[in-house]
Amino acid sequence: MKPSVSSLYQAVELQQEIPPLLIGERANANGSKKFRELLLANDYESCLKIAVEQEAKGAHVIDLCTAYAGRDEMADLTTLVHMCASSLKAPLMIDSTTPACIEACLRIYPGRAIVNSINLEDGGVNIRRICRAAKKYGAVVVALTIDEQGMAMTSGDKLRIAKAIHAIAVDECGLRPHDLLFDCLTFTVGSGDDTLRDAAIQTLEGIRRIKAELPGCLTVLGLSNISFGLAPQARRILNSVFLHEAVAAGLDAAIVDVAKIVPLARISQEDRQVSLDLLQNRQVAGEKDPLMRFIEHFSSRSAAATDEEQGAARTPEEQLFHKVMDGDKQDLDDLLAILRERFKAVDIINQILVPAMRHVGVLFGKGEILLPFVLQSAEVMKASVTLLETYMDKAEGAATTAILLATVQGDVHDIGKNLVDIILSNNGYTVHNIGIKVPAETIIEKAKEVRADLIGLSGLLVKSAMVMQESMGQYREAGLTVPILLGGAALTPKFVAESCVPHYPGPVVYCADAFAGLKAVQEFEAGTLTATTYDSATAVQPMKPGIKVAEIDRTNPVPAPPFFGQRYVTEIDPAVLFPLVNMQALFRGRWGYRRGKMGAGEYANLIQDTVRPLYEELVRRSLAEGWIQPKVSYGYFPCYSEEDTVVVAADGLEHRFFFPRQAEAPFLCIADYFKTAKAGGDIAGFFIVTIGKRMGEEAARLYQANAYRDYLLLHGFSVELTDALAEYWHGVMRREMGIDGQRRHELHGAITQDYQGSRYGFGYPACPDLEAHQPLFAFLKPEAIGISLTENMQMVPEQTTSAIVAHHPQAKYFAV
Amino acid sequence: METQNGRYICVNCGYVYDPALGDAMNAISPETAFAELPEPWVCPMCYATRDQFDPLD
Repeated sequence: MKPSVSSLYQAVELQQEIPPLLIGERANANGSKKFRELLLANDYESCLKIAVEQEAKGAHVIDLCTAYAGRDEMADLTTLVHMCASSLKAPLMIDSTTPACIEACLRIYPGRAIVNSINLEDGGVNIRRICRAAKKYGAVVVALTIDEQGMAMTSGDKLRIAKAIHAIAVDECGLRPHDLLFDCLTFTVGSGDDTLRDAAIQTLEGIRRIKAELPGCLTVLGLSNISFGLAPQARRILNSVFLHEAVAAGLDAAIVDVAKIVPLARISQEDRQVSLDLLQNRQVAGEKDPLMRFIEHFSSRSAAATDEEQGAARTPEEQLFHKVMDGDKQDLDDLLAILRERFKAVDIINQILVPAMRHVGVLFGKGEILLPFVLQSAEVMKASVTLLETYMDKAEGAATTAILLATVQGDVHDIGKNLVDIILSNNGYTVHNIGIKVPAETIIEKAKEVRADLIGLSGLLVKSAMVMQESMGQYREAGLTVPILLGGAALTPKFVAESCVPHYPGPVVYCADAFAGLKAVQEFEAGTLTATTYDSATAVQPMKPGIKVAEIDRTNPVPAPPFFGQRYVTEIDPAVLFPLVNMQALFRGRWGYRRGKMGAGEYANLIQDTVRPLYEELVRRSLAEGWIQPKVSYGYFPCYSEEDTVVVAADGLEHRFFFPRQAEAPFLCIADYFKTAKAGGDIAGFFIVTIGKRMGEEAARLYQANAYRDYLLLHGFSVELTDALAEYWHGVMRREMGIDGQRRHELHGAITQDYQGSRYGFGYPACPDLEAHQPLFAFLKPEAIGISLTENMQMVPEQTTSAIVAHHPQAKYFAV
Repeated sequence: METQNGRYICVNCGYVYDPALGDAMNAISPETAFAELPEPWVCPMCYATRDQFDPLD
């Protein structure tokens, strides 16, 4: 007799003449929102209706699952098994992992049922009890290829676990091979995660090997996992093509939404080909990778998706995937509680959360989502992992690639490093973030202590790039060989390739942003990470914009300042700064709300509905909480130039400021804008401005609280506000010197330097050297307003900026 | 698709490249579309590279 299952009314062969055996999946409290809501309302009659409806649509067997947090599974399941037994012609699949529930249902079911499911996750406890019950009552059992290490990813592991289960179920508990339906699990090929690109191949191969090496045993598959994360219409096609391939590989049964299976004959040749390419991970020379081709192929397909398809019918796995995608933290604990009933915590992280974050990263790379949304996704990831951690063994989390992150010695900037931390740790890596101003000795010690697989170094200013270059030899001498990733605004691929790579034995890699860091870590894991290279012959040399006239007027009048010497100003109304905040640089640059591929109208709506309100709220809060504390130390000083040096007289002493000169025409140097002693000398203005430390502290608090998006927003706001204060104070000084004409303060003038004179920030392109802070601090004495210097001349708090103010009409920005 | 004569804004500093005006600091003559700017062109105010520009109109 052929292996069959049966209800009270009929027998159904497990190996259908036209395979596969279709098992309807809708009567499932986890898989169907509709079913769940009916169950929660104790509406058993309507629950039964969902089971019955699937019969009409062609299901051979009906899966029944009532496990749901807060419900009495035993009562629900036995009640519905009773009702199904008398109303359903199709045999039942009892879907539970609780041995007592399974036993109770087998006892009352008047036929030969299927039990879904057993596995080796607990090392072999429940499996024995369930198999003995199946033997006693005559049931078929679905066996998932999961063991203590988690879900089997490779065909080898799938077969190995299947054999182990076979040994227990058949050899030990007395079941026959055809009493077993092996489910070798599948994972999505839709996330763009490199480790899952061959998920379909592994599953198909697993089916073939189990059929070949465990003769007589049958196979089953939950189909829809294959297409997580893809658009609903595209999913139907991909699921159907995958089903066809799986049957060809020997699949006997499939757990599906029978209404959504599309016959292969109705799928166009093009749809089929692009689906097969994705499933088989087939790279075509000169074309994009198969996932991109698949997404593009279906992107224009009008989604006639019903509400059921959009969300209500999503499985908990899909719901979690979409919560990450959408940055939605609502009801996360409920959803994770449901998932934990079926999966190990570590599997939820590795099989759902990490692929979701990888998918987010892929979309960011294509310019389809913006940085603040990526950070919101990371917040969902972080919150999920925090909720799952209590259910994990320590050892389970420790096996991932470890990265040590630090901002280099003397540098206080940590936003870049922290973004790398957020992206890496929420892609499943182990990150050791050891903070700012970290000396090379400490980095070496920590890298050895935590056995870092990679080191990531960050730093904002030119000086920090020099620190990185100089420390390469130290790392080499300390015996380190692990890859070093470098990031920071002052770095270029050229600098890294020419000045850092040669001094260290391991790969040294330039990373333009946090996602380049992620890519480097992935390449490291794949064994393909190489040092940054730079070919000066083919590389594009950036233009050097600026005034090309070298002739500097020497007849300009020297204005009379209202006083000589240094003064503090601590009474500044924060409200004067907002009109000078560079909104474009804040929204598009610092916050990452770039327009990119959006239409003008769509972008205007984003700004209007999302970004502006965020800004208004930050303004309101920072005023209400007193976060903005503008303070200035400034002054006017007699000076004269001496070649490339400006000599400044203050407190009876001469302070020498050396400024570099451009190496090419027009050979500009800041000192040229000041008259020599022989020409009668000049005056120079200087200022140091700060908005205080409160905003930096508040931003750090947000980061610690894993409020990643708000951290990015507040930090960006604080930096632009500091620049607004510098612009405001420069305006005050121009007015005091009487060189501001009749113009009013306005932002456009600030961006285009539409005024007389210029302010040159120390550490910026015209005077990159921070050593000038030493003499500047000597006579501006900003310690009194809470500003100090690090060992390599950076100012603390970070929200502080300094400048030399030149009144010369020809003084404009340039770079040396 | 944006118009040939669309303006572009630097996301780093807010400088606006207006094709009608060109860019004297980089010796770019008026009536040069953003797409036609030479590859090594950078923002005349903050030296950001071209990929740091966003369409404005």
